[in-house]
Amino acid sequence: MTTRREVLKWGAVLPALGTGWHGAFAAAPPNNALGLDAMLVDTRFPGALAVADAPVPVMQFAGDVTRVWFDELDARWRQPGFVLGGITGSDALFVLEVLAQHQGRKVISRVALDLPPVNGVQAVRWIIAPHHPSVTA
Amino acid sequence: MDAATFADGLAAMRSAVGDEWVFDLPADLNTYRDFYSVLWGEPEEKVASAAVAPANVEEVQAVVRVANERRIPIYPISTGRNLGYGGSAPVLSGSVVVDLKRMNRVLEVNEDNCSALVEPGVSFFDMYRHLRESGSKLMMSVPDPGWGSLVGNALDSGGGYTVSGYRGHFEAVCGIEAVMADGELLRTGMGALPGSETWQQYRMGIGPCLDGMFRQSTLGVVTKMGFWMFPTPEAWLSGSVSVLRYEDLEELVRIANELEYGNLFNGMPGFGSPVLTRENPIAMTMIPEPEVMNAMVQESGVPAWSFSPNFYGPERVIREQWAYVKSRFEHIPGVQFAETGFVDLPLSPEDMERIHKPRFGIPSLEIFSVGSRGYGNFNPSDGHIWFSAVIPRSGQGIIDANRVMRSECERLGLDLFMFAPAVTCWTRSFVLFAAVPVYKDGRNAHLRDAVREIIRTCAEHGWGEYRCPPAFMDDVMDAYSFGDHKLRRVNEAIKDALDPNGIISAGRYGVWPERYRHMRRTGGEA
Ligand SMILES: Cc1cc2nc3c(=O)[nH]c(=O)nc-3n(C[C@H](O)[C@H](O)[C@H](O)COP(=O)(O)OP(=O)(O)OC[C@H]3O[C@@H](n4cnc5c(N)ncnc54)[C@H](O)[C@@H]3O)c2cc1C
Repeated sequence: MTTRREVLKWGAVLPALGTGWHGAFAAAPPNNALGLDAMLVDTRFPGALAVADAPVPVMQFAGDVTRVWFDELDARWRQPGFVLGGITGSDALFVLEVLAQHQGRKVISRVALDLPPVNGVQAVRWIIAPHHPSVTA
Repeated sequence: MDAATFADGLAAMRSAVGDEWVFDLPADLNTYRDFYSVLWGEPEEKVASAAVAPANVEEVQAVVRVANERRIPIYPISTGRNLGYGGSAPVLSGSVVVDLKRMNRVLEVNEDNCSALVEPGVSFFDMYRHLRESGSKLMMSVPDPGWGSLVGNALDSGGGYTVSGYRGHFEAVCGIEAVMADGELLRTGMGALPGSETWQQYRMGIGPCLDGMFRQSTLGVVTKMGFWMFPTPEAWLSGSVSVLRYEDLEELVRIANELEYGNLFNGMPGFGSPVLTRENPIAMTMIPEPEVMNAMVQESGVPAWSFSPNFYGPERVIREQWAYVKSRFEHIPGVQFAETGFVDLPLSPEDMERIHKPRFGIPSLEIFSVGSRGYGNFNPSDGHIWFSAVIPRSGQGIIDANRVMRSECERLGLDLFMFAPAVTCWTRSFVLFAAVPVYKDGRNAHLRDAVREIIRTCAEHGWGEYRCPPAFMDDVMDAYSFGDHKLRRVNEAIKDALDPNGIISAGRYGVWPERYRHMRRTGGEA
């Protein structure tokens, strides 16, 4: 039986893990070498598209994830596979993470980027990958 | 509960739903925490001991029976997006969350009856996609974030922004199926009559109407729910009636109420103060004394109060209605009228870009990006709780609620992101809404004490919350104290009779089964 303490401890550890993994991510292997199937870029951050520099399909949005999730990600996340990398505001990642978890996916890497915040919103670079057996390829 | 019984129960649940649909690793359980919890990271934080995701009614029944036989507390959720009111975490720590996300079938949309029957995992987005793809002529009502479920949102008494009778989401419920604590299946209303075709037509059936037994309740796991839906109207019109004096508010609200109760407009009305929301459109400042407010209006030229009626229907009908509505306010000195919006439906791509989508039953997640558009410092992804008290539907109601809330928040040092004293999602009521920021550090202890004090202050004025986060459920229920807390006592008598082992949603809205009653206010772990 998992105790309350274990759950709380895990929650505290996750962000640190994400930053660690980003070390490799930030060492700039091409995005497809990371196994990404697509990139998602939040165009509120002027430098984000340049940073994305991806040989994989790049989807764009500006703050509100509704359209890109409803038109693209929802269907892809219902199928097995599909590793998504992103450079978005922390607010958009919050929403995507909740949606992803619902479909058996997890944020496996996240790190705050050194881009100027937009109205207090920080840019974050992240990877969301399938995790539950129903969607792992 | 001893570890062996729990492990045995979890093993039985695994055989009922399949190994991969039972979650008990910390990494998985972290996703069932309430990310807006006012107890975040503290020993009292309410967390699940496991989660189980059944795929159909039979599996739900099996899970409930396993839990009942072993007295394992369970906590059903539909999509678990109840952010601001508890997220997907249980009220009683140690409960097993029954996550119904896999039961996501739209079972029926009846175009002629304008109704739907859905499973709990159907999100507003799922339903919207279904309506679009089937070419439906129906419109649904949605809350601001569309990622929640029709069932979970209605069960917690959520609200939307569309038409009267539909936008108070539980008000549009017609027919419920629920797995009771003994594992048996109950259907309410006409659903109890085998072969009836009227489950989503006549809500009451025979005898006491039991739909209400499942609202904000601890009595069953809801597995199907019927909803009345609205035929998509031909057009929408929005107007504003603005008045210039502090003294005009009472008359403004009185006439608006009469017009709404007489069905002269059917959309959600807005009540606000343009002059008191100049700095931040989503947070009304303290209402000053009459002469001060009137001087502010004179200096700025900005109206004191506004009432915004909304109309859905054929264009020539709603234009006539708007003309009549205006005529009822013409006697107020200096009154100003404006048509603030008109669109034909279905929406054109251009209209789609400029409207508030939930007003048209279109689910959206846009609310989570308002922070970056400079709406004060409201950033929903940082976390907040909703404080939402029912106040009298009158001008004086708005003034009193605004002043009490503003002065209490100032005295107690409580920040508000958003403050609207008269939200009208629910038929015939004003609900005072405030979004209070939540922290991920030690400041939450003060926040909890302050909110409790405000709950008590509101109760002294006769105002009670319509909904609240789990940390405050006992306090809110305490306020409904008529007849030495007869309401709670009756609820708990029903609870003990229908769920003698106290397994379902213990503690929700202050209703504790006998077994856990000692945890009232103090909380604890099963
Ligand atoms: C920025 C922001 C804006 C918001 N705006 C609105 C708004 O406009 N209107 C509004 O209503 N809410 C609003 N909310 C609150 C909340 O997000 C929504 O109400 C959301 O729809 C609730 O989550 P859900 O639908 O996933 O319900 P769930 O979390 O699944 O359910 C809510 C509760 O109901 C009970 N329950 C659920 N399913 C069952 C079942 N099958 N059987 C028995 N009991 C069950 C459980 O106790 C559960 O905790 C807002 C939140 C945020 C953060």
